[in-house]
Amino acid sequence: MTRPTNPSSATAPRRRFLKSAVASAGAAIAAPTIIPGSALGLDGAVPPSERVVMGGIGIGRRGGYDLSCFLPQKDVQFIAVCDIKQKRRDEVKKIVDNHYGNQNCDTHRDFRELLDRSDIDAVLIATGPNWHATAAMMAAKAGKDMYCEKPVTKNIAQSLILAETMRRTARVFQAGTQRRNLPHFAFACELARTGKLGKLTKVYAHPMGMRALMSEWLGPEPEPDPEIVDWDMYLGPAAWRPFNAKLLDGFNFEKGGGFVGAFSGGGVLEWGSHCVDLCQWAVGDCPPPVQYDPPKDGELVARYENGTELIFREKGWIPLGSCPVRFEGESGWVEAGDSGKMVLSSPELLAGRDVAEIGGYPATFHVRDFLDCVKMRRQPKGNADAACNAHIACHAANIALYLDRQVNYDNQTHLFVNDDQANRMRSEALREPWRL
Amino acid sequence: MQNHLPRIRSLTCFLLAFAILSTVTLIPVHSVAAESESELIAVLRSDAPEAEKAVVCKKLAIEGSDAAVGELAKLLSNPRLSSWARIALEVIPGQKADEVLRQATQSLDGGLLVGVINSIGVRRDAGAVEALAARLQDIDAQVASAAAVALGRIGNEAATKSLQQALASSSGAVRNAVAEGYLLCAERLHTEDKSGAATEIYDQIRSADLPMQRIVEATRGAILSRGQDGIALLMETFRSDDKTLFQLALFTAREFPGGEVDLALADELTRATPPRAALIVQAMADRPETVVLEAVVNAAQTGDKHVRLSAIDALKRVGDVSSLSVLLDIAAGPDPELSQTAIDTLAEIPSDGVDDRLVALLPDAESDRYPLLIELVGRRRIDAVPELVRALDHSDSDVRHAALIAIGETVSLEKLDLLLNQVLDPKNTEDVATAQQALKSASVRMPDREACAAKLADALQQAPANTKTLLLEILSDVGGTTALQTLAMSAKSNDAEMQDAASRLLGKWNNLDAAPVLLDLAETAPEEKYRVRALRGYIGLARKFNMPERDRVEMCKRALDQASRSDEQKLALDVLKLHPSVAALKLAVQTKQIPSLKQDATAAAAEIAQQLRKKGVDVSRFISGGGS
Repeated sequence: MTRPTNPSSATAPRRRFLKSAVASAGAAIAAPTIIPGSALGLDGAVPPSERVVMGGIGIGRRGGYDLSCFLPQKDVQFIAVCDIKQKRRDEVKKIVDNHYGNQNCDTHRDFRELLDRSDIDAVLIATGPNWHATAAMMAAKAGKDMYCEKPVTKNIAQSLILAETMRRTARVFQAGTQRRNLPHFAFACELARTGKLGKLTKVYAHPMGMRALMSEWLGPEPEPDPEIVDWDMYLGPAAWRPFNAKLLDGFNFEKGGGFVGAFSGGGVLEWGSHCVDLCQWAVGDCPPPVQYDPPKDGELVARYENGTELIFREKGWIPLGSCPVRFEGESGWVEAGDSGKMVLSSPELLAGRDVAEIGGYPATFHVRDFLDCVKMRRQPKGNADAACNAHIACHAANIALYLDRQVNYDNQTHLFVNDDQANRMRSEALREPWRL
Repeated sequence: MQNHLPRIRSLTCFLLAFAILSTVTLIPVHSVAAESESELIAVLRSDAPEAEKAVVCKKLAIEGSDAAVGELAKLLSNPRLSSWARIALEVIPGQKADEVLRQATQSLDGGLLVGVINSIGVRRDAGAVEALAARLQDIDAQVASAAAVALGRIGNEAATKSLQQALASSSGAVRNAVAEGYLLCAERLHTEDKSGAATEIYDQIRSADLPMQRIVEATRGAILSRGQDGIALLMETFRSDDKTLFQLALFTAREFPGGEVDLALADELTRATPPRAALIVQAMADRPETVVLEAVVNAAQTGDKHVRLSAIDALKRVGDVSSLSVLLDIAAGPDPELSQTAIDTLAEIPSDGVDDRLVALLPDAESDRYPLLIELVGRRRIDAVPELVRALDHSDSDVRHAALIAIGETVSLEKLDLLLNQVLDPKNTEDVATAQQALKSASVRMPDREACAAKLADALQQAPANTKTLLLEILSDVGGTTALQTLAMSAKSNDAEMQDAASRLLGKWNNLDAAPVLLDLAETAPEEKYRVRALRGYIGLARKFNMPERDRVEMCKRALDQASRSDEQKLALDVLKLHPSVAALKLAVQTKQIPSLKQDATAAAAEIAQQLRKKGVDVSRFISGGGS
């Protein structure tokens, strides 16, 4: 088995380029399991009673992109946006109103007002990660379905409660893991999952930075009028710290687990919630690995119950764009990345199939999957159980990374084995009054 | 534009991350701080800044013991540090942490009390049940609600009883929270095999005056906790006039265990209104192990069109060889939407037996079915080339075209000549376009691209003039060394049409292997316009591919040397600007010596220098006069 030195030297020309089709057609080449549009009234003007009425919570840069995927869907009606920043509220309202040609989009500062509305079916949650799990669970308890950006949870306990809550409340939850609805990633995962690579031995994820980012407690600045920036709501469930404008505009509290210090970050969770999520799909969305070694030479190795290794790897990737994954079996391998391309150990793995090459990781298909599942009450590709397992793998890896030693996780008890330190890192108290 | 957005955002995110780094301290991953617990406690006792105490709380969450609990408890009344203290107190094992949290409920109020109650709930402190139960009557609704959910998390007998009583006596938001806590108790009972007790709770909540979402949760629990006896309630829920409850039934049907419910679903399918039936049949198909296939097939066959469409689609997941006859009838039927949905389903039904059956039907197929079956052979990529070849002699062009497309999807390299012959020496001129399309489909999917390219290159020698360009285009799509060499030779041939096509295709070649070929062509191509085209292709490779910056600059240098026009020279400078490096800067500075490029090269050098300075590179020695 030889490894091609250039992606295009292996299989790249063998697939159709559908980028322009994606841009123009949107859901036209959606996942094959989706019910025919006409059966659900999607083929023409959709009557108001059949639309999914939505509100947006925390629509910033990422949320703005998500919104741009939702708005063109004929069976969606956005009627409200919520943000702790007045400027954002106004900007997003303008986008929505411009789209519909009216002035009907309501604005809210407190998302609880939005959740209390009986005329909203589903919400788009695109706040900073600090809020994701708490907002998602509150939305579920308020009877809303949700598309929630990643990382979805801040720790293992949140991951487990999230999955349990979505089951109990019978809500449709789609994590913002849009790569699950892109053909080449789906195909690569299918090869691994269905044994086409032989017995799976290793799955690789690219964490893009195995380190912790810690912020100091920045000096206090005069707190703005809450109507302009509601700092208390911005902090939300994160432990208190004084207002400082540097912490606004994209700084995400405790993105990497927040084990020490007020703020931390790191790629294991930020990128792992995508690439580890794909690895989890490749192993059939089984429970997460049970053993995690500390990093060595740029690699952090975790092991599943059956011995398959999940390897967080910094280097050694074929240049296929961001968020690469690689799956190795006893008889073959596949590597794929955000360019839309994949490289196979043998072209025969394609078995004559055309796999659409869609670069740029668009979320359109993922959004469509969510909306169809809302209507059918089916689990979408980025459902809460799948997201829970992938996030636990990331959190456990972060714990091994932080403790700088091996940790062992029991998927039955959801505890680390004989490891008090690691077990204490499974959860973190929320600031009052928030709870899960 | 839409498909570019994520890339733009990726860049934005990178820049944002870069900006954030300026506000945070980057600390390498390290093991837990070396301070001893006593040292950490000493910080809490001191007049250290709150920021320092906050970080100490985080460390004590991992390292703290009973010894730290007292000092942490003192922070519970501090609005700024209370949440930090609870980060530690919530996870420090032992009764002492429980005790201080319980004690805190006696003295705190408002949000701080809510936080402490939430932490008691997370710790599932059974010793706090009495105090929490008392708080259910608190005049502060937030406190009472927090107590209700905390009791639900504790979930023991006493907690459950207190919630049962409160469900009757509370109102408004507190009642809603009591129901949430009470439901948590029921869930716990259900998982502990005490389903009878769980069912009682679910039923109490179902019949209570509560927000619909609580009713939904209770109904789901009431169905599942009853085991197989829950099927009746599930069906009752399917028939509810309330859309929300019907949707719950769809959700719960998918998770209901066993096979008995599938029979009930099949029955319900025949009773439901068409809009609901269209959704029910999808839920049925999401139970592939136990689905009543006959019911889905029946729904596909007759009745409301929307239900039929949904059922036909559902057969993609659960259909098998027994469904073929019905699907083929629908596919051949008069309604184009039903027909197309059936064809799409037939192309995807996952079953080995389906392939064999479809091939077996080919010889005796009637005229309207024949092209359909051939199409399915192609779409399912069934190896049935001999049968397809027979169809090439059919009098009906629809049949021949379907066969050609199917051959394109299934033929092996050894039989690629079949298609080459159809292209080079067609029996029917009306088949040529389809044959060309099929040849391209076949060629680009061949596992051995070099062997495929060799066959195409051989055919090129014998091809009539009007097909040479086509073969070159297919070679370009196939890629690889043989294809590249063939295109290079064609670009230098005496045939003007081949020169044009080959140089055009080489200019769009999508990997670096083409670089030396394009550079050679930039020098030796027979006509100026092809030399320019080749050079532009060469510069394009330098622009868009990942490579060591030294190599990229070398390519730009060669391009600058080779270029006879300022247009291409400026393109090379653009590449240097796009990929700033010290080597790129040096080349831009050197290029200033070319009089006609002095202005552009100076601007490029300044831009590169600016980019390098942002990365902290000292560029002063490369740019005279401080470099602007």
